[in-house]
Amino acid sequence: MRTTTRRLALAGVGAALLLPAGIGSALAADGDTNANLAPVALNGVPASGTAMASVRGTTLTVTMAANGLLADAPHAAHIHFGAEARNECPAASDDASGDGTLNTSEGVPAYGGIVVSLTKTGDTSPASGLAVDRYDTAPGGAIAYQRGSIEVAPEVAQAIVDGKSVVVIHGVDHDGNGTYSGSTPSDLDPSLPTEATDPALCGVLAAAPSGSVAAGAGGTAVGAGAQDGLMLLGGGLLAAGVGAAGLVARRARASA
Amino acid sequence: MSDRPQHDGRRRLTPVAAVVAAAATALTGAAVLAVGLRGPDDGPPAAPERTAVVAAPDPSAAPPSPAAPAAPDPGPAPPVAAGAPAADLGPVLPASDPVALSIPSIGVASDVLEPLALDAAGVLPAPTDYALPGWYTGGPRPGQFGPAVVAGHVDGPDGPAVFYRLGELAVGANVEVTRADGTVATFVVDAVERYAKAEFPTSRVYGNTTDRAELRLITCGGAFDRTTGHYVDNIVAYAHLV
Repeated sequence: MRTTTRRLALAGVGAALLLPAGIGSALAADGDTNANLAPVALNGVPASGTAMASVRGTTLTVTMAANGLLADAPHAAHIHFGAEARNECPAASDDASGDGTLNTSEGVPAYGGIVVSLTKTGDTSPASGLAVDRYDTAPGGAIAYQRGSIEVAPEVAQAIVDGKSVVVIHGVDHDGNGTYSGSTPSDLDPSLPTEATDPALCGVLAAAPSGSVAAGAGGTAVGAGAQDGLMLLGGGLLAAGVGAAGLVARRARASA
Repeated sequence: MSDRPQHDGRRRLTPVAAVVAAAATALTGAAVLAVGLRGPDDGPPAAPERTAVVAAPDPSAAPPSPAAPAAPDPGPAPPVAAGAPAADLGPVLPASDPVALSIPSIGVASDVLEPLALDAAGVLPAPTDYALPGWYTGGPRPGQFGPAVVAGHVDGPDGPAVFYRLGELAVGANVEVTRADGTVATFVVDAVERYAKAEFPTSRVYGNTTDRAELRLITCGGAFDRTTGHYVDNIVAYAHLV
């Protein structure tokens, strides 16, 4: 009796553990996405880049290259998504404080919260969003980042495949003094200057094109003219024959 | 008087004869139509016999780079160790729109590229102008990390179009893209492959399978299907930034 109860309990735990995986594979789709990373409005970094996320089930591989960032300074980078967000990069109109720059919080209505922390090592959950010592430091202003085996929730994988997630690389040297400085504290961590966390580059991870391209009109296909003529002739004769048959049938009915 | 009105003595077919005649006409029409449909459609511009086209039904059989074999489509993502150090993504240029395309070995020289955006179904359209290549604005700019995509027609209604000779492109050939910032991104061709559109390897063409700045040149090929008005194959050239 006792043994049976324990077995039942174990079975229940097993089912509970298996269930999320089952739901995950049912919901998540495979897909390839690309983001063109452009300077965030108002913050004006002279940088650019691209990021690609390959989704296989609930596993991501993220690869990104960027240049023109503040060199040798940590650049936190995340994938953002919010069910209530606009799923796009922020615009100048998102400057709620009116101070002429956009901080990370002001971008949330556009790109939502953090769903993946693109750290170089260790945890990749939102909890590592500000783990400054584990992000790329952009030697020479360039980031060359790749990380695979990133596990995400099924709804996050789906949002990425659906083109609703946004890559943001943070860190803006507003005053151009070559380091994160200034008296304005970060909206995310008051012990850091806002320069360390303000969004620098942003791009929506958009789904890659699906399938083939129709890139020919057949003007050089062999025998085009003759074939077209035969098509018309054949179609015409076919129509004539069918038409005559219809007429015969009508007459047959009329005389019956 | 006859019980049936006769019209000016014209000879009438009996119903049976009329049915036979109608059927014969229809059959003849169908037969001629079949000839028209079948047609000698296997000799379009960039057919396999134009040498350099490598038919590769199994994408993994002809990887664009020996160093980075492509994953089969839609295969697993490339294996990357968790917590890998800074990746080697090769040469990468900043973002800048392409303004000219030159492929000397197949006579392509265009000073204009049409911007191409996906349609509502997520499909990449071909350029509206048969004489111009088009570039996919949702992808990397040529020279940036990832596969930049340039598509062009193989022919128009009246003759060859900009990528008529794409199937002749040889491995090792140069492709030059001039960009708005004045830089010229030079790519070297790794492979030229042909796929049935129904088996188009979306992930291999548009996904990141090589971890470097690449270029995809896409046009049509294979037989021309007159019922759809489209070629049945796509030809894709793969090249990497040098």
